[in-house]
Amino acid sequence: MTSHALIRAEHLSKAFDVSKPWLERTLSGEGRRTLSAVSDVSFDIAAGETFALVGESGSGKSTIARLVVGLHAASGGRIVFDGLDIADPASARQFAAERRRIAMIFQDPYASLNPRWRIGDIIAEPLYAFDLVKNRDEAQARVDELLRLVKLDPLDGVKFPHEFSGGQRQRVAIARALASNPDVIVCDEPTSALDVSVQAQVLNLMRDLQDQFKLTYLLISHNLAVVRHMATRVGVLYLGRLVEVAPAKTLFANPRHPYTRMLLAAVPDLHLVGRARTAVQGEIANPIDLPPGCAFHPRCPLANGRCTSDIPQLISRDGADIACHAVEEGRE
Amino acid sequence: MSPEIVLDVRGLTVEFPTRNGILTAVDNVSFSIAKGEILGVVGESGAGKSLTGAAIIGLLEPPGRVAKGEIRLKGERIDGLAGEALRRLRGRRVGMVFQDPLTSLNPLYTVGDQLIETISTHRPDLSASAARERALSLLIDVGIPAAKDRLFAYPHQFSGGMRQRVVIALALAAEPELVIADEPTTALDVSVQAQIIALLKRLCAERGTSVMLITHDMGVIAETCDRVAVLYAGRIVEIGPVADVIHRPCHPYTIGLMGAIPALDGEEDRLTQIPGSMPRLSAIPQGCAFHPRCARTSQTCIDERPLLTAAGSGSAACWHIDPALTGAGS
Repeated sequence: MTSHALIRAEHLSKAFDVSKPWLERTLSGEGRRTLSAVSDVSFDIAAGETFALVGESGSGKSTIARLVVGLHAASGGRIVFDGLDIADPASARQFAAERRRIAMIFQDPYASLNPRWRIGDIIAEPLYAFDLVKNRDEAQARVDELLRLVKLDPLDGVKFPHEFSGGQRQRVAIARALASNPDVIVCDEPTSALDVSVQAQVLNLMRDLQDQFKLTYLLISHNLAVVRHMATRVGVLYLGRLVEVAPAKTLFANPRHPYTRMLLAAVPDLHLVGRARTAVQGEIANPIDLPPGCAFHPRCPLANGRCTSDIPQLISRDGADIACHAVEEGRE
Repeated sequence: MSPEIVLDVRGLTVEFPTRNGILTAVDNVSFSIAKGEILGVVGESGAGKSLTGAAIIGLLEPPGRVAKGEIRLKGERIDGLAGEALRRLRGRRVGMVFQDPLTSLNPLYTVGDQLIETISTHRPDLSASAARERALSLLIDVGIPAAKDRLFAYPHQFSGGMRQRVVIALALAAEPELVIADEPTTALDVSVQAQIIALLKRLCAERGTSVMLITHDMGVIAETCDRVAVLYAGRIVEIGPVADVIHRPCHPYTIGLMGAIPALDGEEDRLTQIPGSMPRLSAIPQGCAFHPRCARTSQTCIDERPLLTAAGSGSAACWHIDPALTGAGS
């Protein structure tokens, strides 16, 4: 692990209580049930890089995004931002001052903007919340500048969200995220609600802004092509655990974990017209009732007895970290 | 010798009369699907691809209506059917697979009941036990494990991928000549998506069923379809064999669209971007609907609407197609 990581997640876990109500539980004699959305996830994000988390639905990628920005409290482990534990009461005051350095962009630009607020007010909110401006004129000037940055017209500031298309709304969300001059932007599926031509506009914009402001991105996406295009390093999640972490180039050229291979083989690709895709066996397991051992073993062609009992840990192989017994034992 | 044409759509126009005038959502769309062929219909949101499908199977919601054009299924007019004739068409001759498998199944009936009902409605000649047998064999065909027990399960007891398999079984229950699949894999994860696409392809090939596959995902089109029609603002801008449209697109919109899709093996630094976004139905530009976003726009594009003309191995609707491409096939 590098010492200059801007964000470090250490053995992060998050469990949600999905028990039935007390009375029903007592009458049927059932115990409490928990869904462990994230278990024992550790990663580092260096300043200036784009770290992407990919996985299918239920893999815990959005939960991790929310843990990083503090929208959920972790059930175990911790997140260290620039040397400060964000959940530690001792550093709470210090972190509050640093809070503006992390911003977030959400998936659905129709739900993440208040329909009753004008665009200008939406973008100005972080400015007031973090005391970054002294008066209205200063706020207005900053909002105009932000709107220009995301290639919108400063005159758009007086409009309401419904007057914009999905792509334009996502630009507004980006402008709001940039308002507090953050170092890190957590992007949770920033383009999955958008059409491809608009997605290209937003991805290009995100890259330009990254170059201009030396931003660090934590990108959450299920779209492997988007991840390939944007990411420096990639973490692959399966049912709440990291199964592979590798530089993007390495991961896409030489996926090691059987799940990563399966995922890559399953992606429909433009350049392979008429290719028969590797039909993958089975579906993602129920996160409330996880299979013992490696959660992927029921679908894995390489599974053996050890996979059904021991949970594999990340091990380093040729510059990538892989959590797989088969890779460790050379049974690939 | 040309193969038998199953679906023939000529000049289809779908309109929505509103207080502020008539909105044209599908504008003079013509295409045909041969027996056993899979035609992809691709476009961004608002391009009119779902409405085209809905118009064919008579599911347009009022006030939407087919204003002009003809839809023929094996030579027989099927636009403007109503009542009993329409009911016999739907399900029996044209099957439909919708995007969301949870809302297209009735949550109060078991999967077996729904299949048996569909089969006995369209095949009244079958006895109850024969219909049950058929329902079971359909479930086995679409790859539901332990199909015999799953006949008595309710939709909520299935996962998303399994539900979509049931929906495909329902669509194929009466052995229709055409299946319209409207974003059948959009709600599913990629690993499951691959299974569903392979399933749909296999079943339709086995039965000789034609498919109209509506999707926004060019990747799905690339590996599934024989031909593809690209829709923009309710019009077909390009139609042709799938490999040609993807690798040698002729229309500026298709070219932009292909460049906008990030590739898995790509090292491209920037994606091609098309400025602006799809026009609203209430403000479709004069002339070529794409001209405000197009780099090749000339006065002709603003004044006159281009028609589909031969370009490469397909056709495209643009005034500025490279002349080397036109008539190349003739």
